[in-house]
Amino acid sequence: MSLLAIRDVTRVFGGLVALDGVSFDVHEGEIFSVIGPNGAGKSTLFNIVSGFDQPTSGSVSFAGREVAGERPHRLVRSGIARTFQNTQLFEELTVFDNVLAGTFPVTRAGVVAAALRLPRARREDRLAREEAHRLLRMVGLDGEADTLAEDLPHGLRRLLEVARALATSPRLMLLDEPAAGLDSAETRELASVLYRVRDAGATMVVVEHDMGLVMEISDSIVVLDRGCKIAEGPPMLIQKDPAVIEAYLGEEAGDDA
Amino acid sequence: MSDRTRRFAQSGGAVLAAAAVLALPLVVTDRYLLKVLTFVGLNVIIVAGMAVLFGYAGQVSLGHAAFTGIGAYTCGFLTARAGWPWMTAVAAAVALSALGGLALALPSLRLRGHYLAMATLGFSVIANIVFVEAKSLTGGNDGLSGIPFASVGPVRLDTPWSNYLLVWGAAVVVVALVSGIVRGRPGRAMAALQGSEMGAMACGVDPVRVKVTAFTLSAGLAGLSGALFASAVGFVSPTSFALETSIILLAMVVLGGTRSVAGPVLAAVALTLLTYIDGLIPGLSKTTVAALQDWKGDIYGVVIVGVMLFVPAGMAGLARAWRRKSRSVTGAGEAA
Amino acid sequence: MGAAQLLQFTIAGLKNGAIYALIALGFTIVYASTGILNFAQGEFYMLGGMVAVWALRTLGLPLLAAVPAAVLVTVGVGALVERLALRPRRAEAPLVLIIITIGVSMLLQSLARHLFGPNEVALPPFTAGPSITFFGAAIERQTLWVWGLTAVALLVLWVLYTRTKLGLAMRATAVSHDSSRLVGIDTARVVMVTFALAAALGALAGVAVAPLTQTAYDVGARIGLKGFAAAILGGLGGPVAAVAGGLVLGLTESLSAAFISSTYKDAIALVVLLAVIFLKPSGLFGRAGREKV
Repeated sequence: MSLLAIRDVTRVFGGLVALDGVSFDVHEGEIFSVIGPNGAGKSTLFNIVSGFDQPTSGSVSFAGREVAGERPHRLVRSGIARTFQNTQLFEELTVFDNVLAGTFPVTRAGVVAAALRLPRARREDRLAREEAHRLLRMVGLDGEADTLAEDLPHGLRRLLEVARALATSPRLMLLDEPAAGLDSAETRELASVLYRVRDAGATMVVVEHDMGLVMEISDSIVVLDRGCKIAEGPPMLIQKDPAVIEAYLGEEAGDDA
Repeated sequence: MSDRTRRFAQSGGAVLAAAAVLALPLVVTDRYLLKVLTFVGLNVIIVAGMAVLFGYAGQVSLGHAAFTGIGAYTCGFLTARAGWPWMTAVAAAVALSALGGLALALPSLRLRGHYLAMATLGFSVIANIVFVEAKSLTGGNDGLSGIPFASVGPVRLDTPWSNYLLVWGAAVVVVALVSGIVRGRPGRAMAALQGSEMGAMACGVDPVRVKVTAFTLSAGLAGLSGALFASAVGFVSPTSFALETSIILLAMVVLGGTRSVAGPVLAAVALTLLTYIDGLIPGLSKTTVAALQDWKGDIYGVVIVGVMLFVPAGMAGLARAWRRKSRSVTGAGEAA
Repeated sequence: MGAAQLLQFTIAGLKNGAIYALIALGFTIVYASTGILNFAQGEFYMLGGMVAVWALRTLGLPLLAAVPAAVLVTVGVGALVERLALRPRRAEAPLVLIIITIGVSMLLQSLARHLFGPNEVALPPFTAGPSITFFGAAIERQTLWVWGLTAVALLVLWVLYTRTKLGLAMRATAVSHDSSRLVGIDTARVVMVTFALAAALGALAGVAVAPLTQTAYDVGARIGLKGFAAAILGGLGGPVAAVAGGLVLGLTESLSAAFISSTYKDAIALVVLLAVIFLKPSGLFGRAGREKV
């Protein structure tokens, strides 16, 4: 059974059709990429799946449950985590505290438990801290735990956001252009982190422009162009698909002009 | 210093400070000074709640004097006119203020932007009109007098010393509870929210819920302070809960700084003592005291504007920056 | 209640409404160009009245000179507030700027008490003479001044916004600071002019009404709140909506005083404010959009 099933999702902004009847399935354990030229509707799709936007029509089902229109904070609790194209870090907090904030959905202490420092709140807190340290090691940021997020070099900010998303203990990770702005060494590091994430059991959907990275890590790819799905399949087939080549050639011609 | 030892030192320091505060009546015998210090404690209770609201949840309130008023009038009316036992009346006062906070915050926080600040200003003005006009409940401009001292069973707290201990005992407990909240999971959610609302949502934080919780909590604590004020002073009138008082409270949290409880609490102590400076320095001339009273509005205005212009994170922010700097220096030393 | 009495209440409502409209306009233009809820807007109103009285009594200026002088002084204060207290923190979150305006408001109020004293004062009417009778209702001459000055202010504002280069720059800045800078608009200057203009509107309201109701150093917060209520009622959108909001609020207040309770007349405006804030969905407000993801 598919973990995420997108069916006929359409999103209209005013008169503009950002997504036009898009359907696809993401299976448990895969790295699934969504690619397409600028304005293809990738970000809109991400926002819909993560609850930051709602489809005009169509359905999004996650683990067999309809989730379209649910608020983001609820979706995180049911196991959908995301990163942002423009990183949304807590700049004035340390790297460690950023990741610790990610444990919010998997911890429970409320105002009363925290105020009274009940034993279960303290135990939970200790576990959350251990988990945050573990995740920092996993993405290779353990040396930066006390650095403020705003002081972190650009290349590491995306890794921090990945670690924070992992702290929510997701079944599905949505990564919005994780390699944007990274140099090739940093991209290599990212790829190895993503493999570790997959091996830890999370399914990933990635929006990415770096084709080398996409072709390398993806199990399956869907291609969007102007809101429509124009191709779907494993990297080998996508690379040869005439519709995909044309869509990208069209974009490059447009860029050159 | 490692995280653990620092925390240990911090909690040790906090316990010592609490003990010193509660032992103060052993050395201070001046009744006026004790009264002044009792007022300081009352403000500490309000400001501890506002520290959560402002410094962690990132919301401005101009209505906290009104919540204090609700607590004071509720406790005063229930004990003086309705004959309720003191404890029950205080509980009712806290509950009513918190409920008022909830009712105000829930709708205005669903909106983006800072409508809550304006809504609290409106609430503050309405509350003051009600305090003046609902004469059968509040005594109008003449106020509500004859409020009995706090009493639990046969024990009546009718000396300045016992009231000092009551108020500061409550303040110590409140500060301890609030510190637990901000250091724990709810505080992390609030700090996240202030850092990036979208980022916080991606961490499973419900922004409305967190802000409403912070507002309700702070309104309830303001109500507690008001209830204690009513029973310690025995008299309540509308002027104590005017808009100006709310702005003074805001000046305290702003000066104290963001993401800290200790900062605003210290600022509350300092700014409250400023207006009662004569209790602290007995030899002070009458004209100096009068001038300070006369210019306190200007002082608070300058404090608010000045802090926001030059150190928006307040004293706590300065302390954090300083700590980071000294740590990075020692870090570099160890590396070398 | 007789028709004449009802008319009397309506006239009072429209008089107050015109005042609220001027304050609401000040809120609206500042909010449009900066996103700041200016808590000091009511202090501009206070300054208008107090400075005029001071110029008249202490400086001995004739009324005809004292009134424009008061407006000019307040304009200067408005521009200074923007330049000294807000511009240095323009890049900060709105929260910081809002708190600054709260502090400025407190400061202006306290300084006004030191300069002008704690007492309530009033101006003489701009034109002496008995009230005018209109279908059995009395209209004070000063009320006509209030309406006239409001109308002139609206006209000037309209010409400024639609017929001048400065107005174009102001409208562009309200849409986007970045794009405006790209096309060569000095947005910092535009924001300062906007504050000065908001101060002028507040001061004008303050002087126009000072002969009718007494004024004092501490009237700012309450009138500011009502102006804000009017602005919210108009949706914090365009100037026309702000004026409509002001008139609706004035009438609501006056008629509720007539039919419900004059004791809680002030509270009613605020209840309207809270009700609108609570009941209108966020989409109706100017900038309720989501952050770009």
